[in-house]
Amino acid sequence: MTTLHVIAHSPFGDERLASCLRLLGPQDALLLCGDATYALKAGSEPFAALQAANLGERLFALAEDLQARALDNPLAKAVDYAAFVELSLRHDKVNSWL
Amino acid sequence: MAKSLLIISRQAPWSGPSAREALDIALAGGAFDLPLGMLFLDDGVFQLAAAQQPDALQQKNLTANLQALPMFGVEELFACGHSLARRGLDGDALALPVEVLDDSALAALIARFDQVVTL
Amino acid sequence: MKFAIAVFSPAHAPSSRRALRFAEAVLAGGHEIARLFFYQDGVHSASANIITPQDELDVAAQWRAFVSDHRLDAVVCIAAALRRGVLDDTEANRYQRPAVNLPMPWELSGLGQLHEAAQLADRLVCFGGD
Repeated sequence: MTTLHVIAHSPFGDERLASCLRLLGPQDALLLCGDATYALKAGSEPFAALQAANLGERLFALAEDLQARALDNPLAKAVDYAAFVELSLRHDKVNSWL
Repeated sequence: MAKSLLIISRQAPWSGPSAREALDIALAGGAFDLPLGMLFLDDGVFQLAAAQQPDALQQKNLTANLQALPMFGVEELFACGHSLARRGLDGDALALPVEVLDDSALAALIARFDQVVTL
Repeated sequence: MKFAIAVFSPAHAPSSRRALRFAEAVLAGGHEIARLFFYQDGVHSASANIITPQDELDVAAQWRAFVSDHRLDAVVCIAAALRRGVLDDTEANRYQRPAVNLPMPWELSGLGQLHEAAQLADRLVCFGGD
């Protein structure tokens, strides 16, 4: 079964993103929202970690969070809430890293 | 067929109510005979350290409650090997009988449950 | 498809607002919400006593309206609520406390309701941690 992982915490000084990337299954997807979108800041360590993880079409970010933070993002696919709902159904379950 | 639930506990034992509230979800599910598993990850592995003295913080004994999990039918207990190693914890000297898993085994563990809650 | 949505954070947390927007999108997408379950600090998202400045979003009020308008099954975990001082009439009386801050349409109940919702729903989606 595949999992949509959701992270909302800033990757700076927090373990969630690093742990998630270690446990991510080969068909799992990752949705960044809230401060987790800071991981998409080019030039940062988390950004380098995301690039190295090479998630391709499996990396998503909540559009409203990118916009609020003026994040110029080449790595993740920006999604709205309707797409978030659709993603949660496309995978077998959702794991939010609270 | 009941859906299986994996509870992932990531918080240290005395960092607030999270560790206890994750355990409460497991105990409630166990009381309903639901197929559950519990994984200790990141700082959550500190809940497994032996010889803790919660009295010093005027807290209830979390370890004793964790040890009650099998009595509630929650026997699938796991810990992340990487988290243990990073924190200097010996997988053989823990207060709870858990299966220590490496990263790829953890990915497989998460994949086989119907649902996951991470606290 | 049926969703169970669990909220673990208070009304002022970004994740509470995010949960609400997600819940709205679930209904807008033609799906059902089997239950909303408020646990840990999520019990505060149900508080009737939150006062937000006029120029700020009142997420607690929006949750109340959302639950009422759609007649949703909205449960607040009783153990988490008591510990955090979120009380309905019955509990405030039982414990002789001065304030009732859990209004209709919320219902206080146990973790069994979270498990039941997880069993009934096709997806369990949790929000919180901040």
